[in-house]
Amino acid sequence: MLLKSVEYVRPDSVAQAIEILNSNEGAALLAGGQSLVNILKHRVASVDVLVDIATLEELRFVESRPDGSIEIGACITYDELDHSELIHSSHEMIAWVASHIEDQQIRNRGTIGGNCCLSDPTNNFPPLLVAMDATMNIQSSSGMRQVRAEEFFKGYLMTAIQPGEILKSITVPPVPADVGIGYVSLSVGEDSKAIVRSSAWVKLNGVVQEARVVLARVSPIPVRYQPMEEALRGSSATPEDIARAASVIGSDFEPVADSHGSSEYRREMARVVAKRAVLEAVEKVRGEGGSK
Amino acid sequence: MITQSATQAIEVTINGKTYRRVVESRQLLVHFIRDTLGLTGTHIGCDTGSCGACSIIMNGKLVKSCMLLAPQADGAVIETVEGLAHDGELSALQESFRDHHGLQCGYCTPGMLMAATYLLRNNPSPSEEEIRRGIKGNICRCTGYVNIVRSIKAVADGAQLDMGDGVAKEV
Repeated sequence: MLLKSVEYVRPDSVAQAIEILNSNEGAALLAGGQSLVNILKHRVASVDVLVDIATLEELRFVESRPDGSIEIGACITYDELDHSELIHSSHEMIAWVASHIEDQQIRNRGTIGGNCCLSDPTNNFPPLLVAMDATMNIQSSSGMRQVRAEEFFKGYLMTAIQPGEILKSITVPPVPADVGIGYVSLSVGEDSKAIVRSSAWVKLNGVVQEARVVLARVSPIPVRYQPMEEALRGSSATPEDIARAASVIGSDFEPVADSHGSSEYRREMARVVAKRAVLEAVEKVRGEGGSK
Repeated sequence: MITQSATQAIEVTINGKTYRRVVESRQLLVHFIRDTLGLTGTHIGCDTGSCGACSIIMNGKLVKSCMLLAPQADGAVIETVEGLAHDGELSALQESFRDHHGLQCGYCTPGMLMAATYLLRNNPSPSEEEIRRGIKGNICRCTGYVNIVRSIKAVADGAQLDMGDGVAKEV
């Protein structure tokens, strides 16, 4: 057996799952399992009870709200996001990102909630959700609380989720016609783990009204690079303007170094992917009928 | 609710046959299929979810069976490579793999066949790019992708299979 002995339980509701978490200190939530099962095989995490929430209907929905925002249940899989007409019609980039995660088998099991709650710096959704200013809806025995995506990711494998809490859903604000979203990764192979990644959200009305530029895989959690956002604001967003804005990613910015890239290499590449992500966002607004 | 325990009584239907067994909660689904049930057509290549040799279709979805625990499959309907042939007749994909030399050592073949079966069910006429994306989760270390892609494309196109000299032709 690869795994150490572990208890398995499949609750009937989120409330029941929370009860189990509260009465078992060594309990962990099991959703798609596409990372956790490997972690358990390597015996690097000590889990006594696996609480399987993958099939809970309460966590498996995609709904649009009257204001144009969309709420996605935590246990919706990448493949389901990619095949949701609702997502395609209002938040296309979420479907695009979902459809470019690893391979079909992983997309059939992996969930958006698991992708966020693991808080692995290579995961695809955290930078996008920070750029889109999503809200994480967290349930516990004392009710619901909301945390902005920007505040949700705390560190390597760490999030704002506290013991006894479950990420129930993610609410993503509407994407009006004057907003474009870009998402660019530098990776070794197509759809594989990124070395550097950037997601950009740009509100454009002749000139840039507002921009959010998120860099990922440069630190344990996705970070907004505010000097670049400021450099973009008020500019006409020509390719030259965007390149100039990306060049403010300066020598004071020190990305993590590892076997995939030195800090210097990641800084250089951060400029490239951030520039391309903003270009993509801008082109979407200026292209036919805006973007999602 | 499935009660909290280190062992679970599970019921799984594989290729039309229902199996009831008591398993350790920590047992991987691929080990349940191979070791407990003796269905060794499903292979283990890496047991880290990288190679796809253990791919099966569970409740209509292609998954890697080394990335699931056996209790997660309780109540599931599963198809493995053993279920592709009927009454001794190979499926069109299996025939095509044979005719186009879509394998060398054959180790990845069960996973490739399940991935290709899933792909064609959801997209009966895929482009070459779609085929390559469809088998991205399956690694062949004989570098045999060209003939694997040809095998799948031939079925997708409904092309006449080359039954003659055994040499794959362009499709």
